[in-house]
Amino acid sequence: MGRGLARMNDMSPDKTAEAREALRAAMVRLAQGDSAALEEIYSATRVKLFGICFRILGDRKEAEDALQDVYVNLWQRADRYDPQRASPISWLATFARNRAIDRLRTGKVRMGAVPVEEAAPLPDETPLADALLVDAERNAQIHTCLKGLDDNAQTYIRAAFFDGLTYAQLAEGADVPLGTMKSWIRRGLMKLRACLEASEAA
Amino acid sequence: MSQEDDIQRDDPMIAAEYALGLLEGEELLAARGKDANDVDFAARKAWWDNWFAPWSDEIAGAEPGAHVWEAIAAQVNAPATSNAAPASASNVVLLDMERRMRRWQWTAGITSAAAALALALFITAPGTAPQTEEAPALAASQAPLMASIPIGDTPLRLGVTFIPASDEMLVSASGLTADGVHDHELWLVPADGSALQSLGVVVPGEERRVALTQEIAANMGDGVKLVLTREPIGGKPEGVDAGPVVAEGAFGQV
Repeated sequence: MGRGLARMNDMSPDKTAEAREALRAAMVRLAQGDSAALEEIYSATRVKLFGICFRILGDRKEAEDALQDVYVNLWQRADRYDPQRASPISWLATFARNRAIDRLRTGKVRMGAVPVEEAAPLPDETPLADALLVDAERNAQIHTCLKGLDDNAQTYIRAAFFDGLTYAQLAEGADVPLGTMKSWIRRGLMKLRACLEASEAA
Repeated sequence: MSQEDDIQRDDPMIAAEYALGLLEGEELLAARGKDANDVDFAARKAWWDNWFAPWSDEIAGAEPGAHVWEAIAAQVNAPATSNAAPASASNVVLLDMERRMRRWQWTAGITSAAAALALALFITAPGTAPQTEEAPALAASQAPLMASIPIGDTPLRLGVTFIPASDEMLVSASGLTADGVHDHELWLVPADGSALQSLGVVVPGEERRVALTQEIAANMGDGVKLVLTREPIGGKPEGVDAGPVVAEGAFGQV
């Protein structure tokens, strides 16, 4: 694993930008069919992406299978990444989360069935703030927009993102009718969209 | 449910629900279908993904076991017969599939419209640039598998195609209509006798393209059986036995 990209933590902003460019370049090479680039990408991003899979799936073995699936799929279809449109790490994080959610939904089994609270504690080896290199400005913007929503909408939109729960699961957990949960979240999403669009227009 | 009624569930809303992972059953399949076939919807989904992505910074990282990379490397280096890029590998499958599909249409009598649509769906997929090189021989394990499932006494058939190169499945239910009371759920019957795996609810009248998990894809193979069960709307509820089998078929090489 040694060569190539550095791990993306404990870095100054300059180093972070450098690492992001290196990752972007590796993604482009992968799309061109250079399978050696996959090892570089894996080495730079596995901790981040495994953390996401683990959080969503709540089971180490499941999460490792999901992680394998993520990188093999990435190799097969690297051309889906458009370097012009998204930062490579945020695209990869989304890709990993989507694949993990797909696993949860296909077969309709809550794999491992371990509620997040009871899951083994995550090794906290990546400092939270500088772990990823997403645009700080966008981060602040969605935070601001989310703050403008009702408490219920804030809580459950975030719960859906972090725990991979469906409407039905959220309603059950909150002990409210399904229609109520949908209504809270959909109202919140309408407001969130308006706020985010306004920020883009500004 | 009346409180939902004043909220407009338009495509941007559905894209957000899909991006967050709130959907299941029929709604999830419908969203996946839109994402694969509707450019505006896919762009809106990507827009939401992009806005939500910074949240993943709040998730602590974790170190996977060393065996994970070994397994990835083994899979990536497995078809070492050619050093072609992954993209051209799938082109090979595509060309070969087109040829096989024609023969299959002819021999198995699938409605040609369904097959053509399934093929069109595959051809317009991203990343299938025109083939320029001489196609190397197609490995048997990379050949698409197809199942044509007759529906009762009708001449209708449910067409299912599995594409190993991308672990994707195309489900063609173009001739079927909904009865408004039931949904039909498609299941894979693993050859090793383990539990059935849901391939999702079939949406009458539509062509669907679904990405499969490794777990399901690993069970795909020549001769593997598929069954279709009748379920309540939305598919088999959790914790309840599956409904009656109304049709069945098996994958075959074409």
